[in-house]
Amino acid sequence: MALSDSPTTTVDSTPKIAVENVSNAYESGGESVQALSDVSFSVDDGEFCCVVGPSGCGKTTLLRTIAGLETPDSGSVLVDDEPVTGPGLDRGMVFQEYALFPWRTVRGNIRFGLDRPACGCSDCERRVQKLVDLVGLDGFEDSYPKALSGGMKQRVGIARAIAPDPEILLMDEPFGSVDARTRDRLHDELINIWASTNQSIVFVTHDIDEAVTLADKIVIMDSEPGTVRSTLSVDLSRPRDRTATGFVDYVAQIRDELGSPTETKC
Amino acid sequence: MSIHTEHGTDTAADTWYEADLRRYLRGVGGLTVFLAVWWTGAAITQPSYLLPGPAESAQAFIELFATTTDIPLPLLGGTLTLPTALAHLTQTLFHYVPGLLLGSACGIGLGLAMGWSGRLDDWLQPLIRVLRPIPPLAWIVFAIVWFGIHHTGAAFIVFIGAFWINFYGAYGGVEGVDGELTDAAATLGVERDLSMLKLVALPSAAPQILTGFRTSIGRCWMIVVGAELFGAPGVGYEIINASNNLAMDTSVAYMLLISLAFLCMDVGFRLFERRILAWR
Repeated sequence: MALSDSPTTTVDSTPKIAVENVSNAYESGGESVQALSDVSFSVDDGEFCCVVGPSGCGKTTLLRTIAGLETPDSGSVLVDDEPVTGPGLDRGMVFQEYALFPWRTVRGNIRFGLDRPACGCSDCERRVQKLVDLVGLDGFEDSYPKALSGGMKQRVGIARAIAPDPEILLMDEPFGSVDARTRDRLHDELINIWASTNQSIVFVTHDIDEAVTLADKIVIMDSEPGTVRSTLSVDLSRPRDRTATGFVDYVAQIRDELGSPTETKC
Repeated sequence: MSIHTEHGTDTAADTWYEADLRRYLRGVGGLTVFLAVWWTGAAITQPSYLLPGPAESAQAFIELFATTTDIPLPLLGGTLTLPTALAHLTQTLFHYVPGLLLGSACGIGLGLAMGWSGRLDDWLQPLIRVLRPIPPLAWIVFAIVWFGIHHTGAAFIVFIGAFWINFYGAYGGVEGVDGELTDAAATLGVERDLSMLKLVALPSAAPQILTGFRTSIGRCWMIVVGAELFGAPGVGYEIINASNNLAMDTSVAYMLLISLAFLCMDVGFRLFERRILAWR
């Protein structure tokens, strides 16, 4: 199921996303809180990158900065060597609490990004139906979000984000509010979608198991202020078995890096 | 459980029916007690015109439909002949409807603009604070000197009443828009402020805007009757006119007429509201 119409891009050395020395502070109760301090890393074209770290390490701020929803105090984010100055259809975003438009049906939500003039899609209705099928929501096209379970809502969130065919998908703890079994299924579905679209994904999570299950590359962050502690390539074939020795080793290694094994499970 | 399903649903339906019936009977009971108290009170009140009883009032109500009245048509000219009750109701609607619709439209418009634009909010907030507490009926003096106390003057008073209620409905609704929804829309290609207002803020604020409008339907009935007590033609004027002739039963009949008119509008609008807010 190829959703991307663009031909596969030739391999070159420039990364898809380059985060360069990004620092960002926000005001909270009259005080300035340093959310990100000199954060740098890059994501290659088609790479699945997970960002893990304890709560409050600025993961969400980082993702919002890549999305263009926040402007960094210093440093910059480059996408295809162009600095990010605001949100754009080239970067889709999936939110932790879904952020679906409650007054739109499943179909209406998925269609939202296709109705913008910037998006020239010739047969939107068919594309929406294809996406509904892709995320397994047949028969729920005309339901409103209030009638859907958490897992179904996030499926709509994903379909809505990938509808305009972005080259980058940003996901902010998207499966944090769904039960464990649904999460496992959504992991499989997400990997399938990613494989069929060739998108670059930045996926924020505090769950180490989740990161090792999904990622090609893991960025490990520290908190207060948010900094990159290290990055790590995950060299495991997919689908990944959580009980395999290789998998367990990666998890242990990241847990070590983060320092406090009791806190990481949240 | 599956064997007893049919029995089970029967019981459930019975319980529902019983609960409904009990509520209905209690309502009828309350009304009956009220009528009895009214009846007794009217019977022992002397002189009798001070409090007409339910029967006289009902009689007067029916008479309002049995006789006809000519009313002049504003703007178009000419006259319209209708049963008396409907004739005066129509007169009221001639200023109630334009006042309500225009006031609501302006209130919603300004509420959306101020709720959305922080700068406009900064400019106008102090002014709003000063103007808001003035009761609409206090503007009657200007209604009289500017428009004369006729349809236009009364419509002006209704306009002010509708304006504020709808203003706050829209203002609160837009201010309460979830920032995550505007973020989501921004990542989906919504760039201009006006598109964001139309695609996110307005539908998101719709429940509060509609509640504001529904509230103003009721409030404007109070205001319109107040304006008519000062002399604008319509049901309110007839209430005071009848009482000047000591025909209190006719006054009560007109009061009942207002109540019925409001009930119809309220129920109608609730049905409409439930339809458009099906997503809630």
